[in-house]
Amino acid sequence: MSRDATPPPAAPRLSMRMRRALWVWGFLALPVLFYGVIRFYPTLDAFRLSFTDWNLMSAPKYIGLENYRRMLAEPEFWQVFRNTFAYLVLGTPISLLLSFTVAYFLDRIRFGHTLMRALYFLPYITTASAMAWVWRWFYQPAPTGVINAVLGDLGLAQMDFLRSTTWALPSIMVTAIWAGLGFQVIIFMAGLRSIPTTYYEAARIDGVGEWAILRRITLPLLKPTTVFLVVFSSIGFLRIFDQVYNMTTNDPGGPLGSTKPLVLKIYQTAFSSYEMGYAAAQTVVLFTILLLVSLGQLWALRKR
Amino acid sequence: MADITLNRLVKTYGRAEVIHGIDLAVADGEFVVFVGPSGCGKSTTLRMIAGLEEVSGGEIRIGGRLVNEVDPRQRNIAMVFQNYAIYPHMTVRQNIAFGLYTSKLGKTEKAAKVEEAARMLDLTALLDRRPAALSGGQRQRVAIGRAMVRDPAAFLFDEPLSNLDAQLRAQMRIEIKALHRRLGTTIAYVTHDQVEAMTMADRIVVMKAGHILQAGAPMEIYDRPADVFTARFIGTPSMNVLPVAGEGAGLAAAGAGAPLLAGVRPQALRVGAPEEEAALSLTGPVTAVEPLGPETLVHFTVAGQGLIATAPPHETPGIGAEVTARAARGQVHLFDPATERATGRA
Repeated sequence: MSRDATPPPAAPRLSMRMRRALWVWGFLALPVLFYGVIRFYPTLDAFRLSFTDWNLMSAPKYIGLENYRRMLAEPEFWQVFRNTFAYLVLGTPISLLLSFTVAYFLDRIRFGHTLMRALYFLPYITTASAMAWVWRWFYQPAPTGVINAVLGDLGLAQMDFLRSTTWALPSIMVTAIWAGLGFQVIIFMAGLRSIPTTYYEAARIDGVGEWAILRRITLPLLKPTTVFLVVFSSIGFLRIFDQVYNMTTNDPGGPLGSTKPLVLKIYQTAFSSYEMGYAAAQTVVLFTILLLVSLGQLWALRKR
Repeated sequence: MADITLNRLVKTYGRAEVIHGIDLAVADGEFVVFVGPSGCGKSTTLRMIAGLEEVSGGEIRIGGRLVNEVDPRQRNIAMVFQNYAIYPHMTVRQNIAFGLYTSKLGKTEKAAKVEEAARMLDLTALLDRRPAALSGGQRQRVAIGRAMVRDPAAFLFDEPLSNLDAQLRAQMRIEIKALHRRLGTTIAYVTHDQVEAMTMADRIVVMKAGHILQAGAPMEIYDRPADVFTARFIGTPSMNVLPVAGEGAGLAAAGAGAPLLAGVRPQALRVGAPEEEAALSLTGPVTAVEPLGPETLVHFTVAGQGLIATAPPHETPGIGAEVTARAARGQVHLFDPATERATGRA
């Protein structure tokens, strides 16, 4: 049969534009539905609930700004607020500095590179609660706790890691930093690898030293990676929960609320006290903080 | 200013030797172009001179000083890379000034040097721009500027024009050559483009598989190629090389196993040239014609081998027609078929 015999295709009923739009929205339908129902609706509903008094049983009762007023007047809220920012302002810079240092040197070694990288990444794929319990065991008094046992052997004083209102928060933060380190190292290494080697070769020929290369070339060119990690890690520390909850199960957020972050407070308000309206108000505060901190960081680290 | 000497220079990667003991002396102020196909070792040689690759054997001397174990920064050379290697987060001014990062000059002297380099390279109006806002040619000029401000003993260029389009490349060839005339600094330049080699070099170094095949002035290499590879690599279109038998004016195409290889440049193999004076006559059917304006390239086959001849612009033979092209006496290069080395002319 010759090709000429085939009839020309009938003109489609829909225009090309329409057909494309149908395809696009066809594929987008599922994620749109998911985000709409599972994510955006509850988020928006939290704003509404924050103006109500609701214990899950009776119908929510509108009480205006009462929840917010109560929050500002409550000393525990301010303690939680301080704790949350302590996690943020200590955790983010320390973890980024550590992970960059590890990535910078790991990038230069060839021998055992893959093994080392895997070892650093391992904590990231480990269950947070399992990890928290192992660290909790590390922190126990001697002879159970490894760290205190070593301190004892060295003739040093014992540390009340998780039972001290001073040291509990830093102790938990160490765990949290260690847990996230692998991910940050991997991302930093990808960023380092994406810098063309001729930049370094040109600098070496120009006689620029290692430190100046790091400061003048590597760090500026790594900025997109750093911005991503600063925002990502900040959100992580502002939302810290697993490590705290699992390492202080006897008195979650203790001792005396000294380690309690905002998310744990919200959890307790909602699911121990069943004060849904009050919990929603705290959620709105957390949401606002996350938004402001992220926007602030993006602004501070913007392209100039 | 300095001369560069390579002595039995060897480079090995693991057990693979890629540079097989090459010797070369680059005179002070000379513009030497290393040319060859990819993987011939020309870039590796340049990178060894720069100090970016370790020397596995032999020695490199810059200005008489043995530099095998000397850090790149202490060799007082400057290098320009194929991808420019100018920093996207710095302005043109900062990029050029970066060449002076370790210099002990004062601030005003540094600024003056940057201004001077910018003026020479016609970059003055662009000094406060970022590289993203520059064209490829401008970026390469910035890279040259960064190299220039250091007053190095020698410039090393690693395929600096390969990322540019043909027109810009032609322009940059002239600019780099003019720059060399003005500065008089020794230049070692690597390219795979034989046109760049021919047009810019004081001396061309033809490399293949880690060996130097021939080093000489452009026209010397063009007129007296030492072997078949060099003969075919330099000049466009490539020289025709075919097996021939006979002697003197009696050369004739022959099959494989013939006692000689004859090389004739397409420009010397003329369609319809007079029979007397001819050293070699070749007849065969035309397979393609390419009118170039001033002349026409005629592709034809003799004994199954494709050859290229030239014809006057308006006397183009038809496809399939039999043509006879002749090379005048003195225009035929003869090579030994076993060694492929040049043996003389006919």
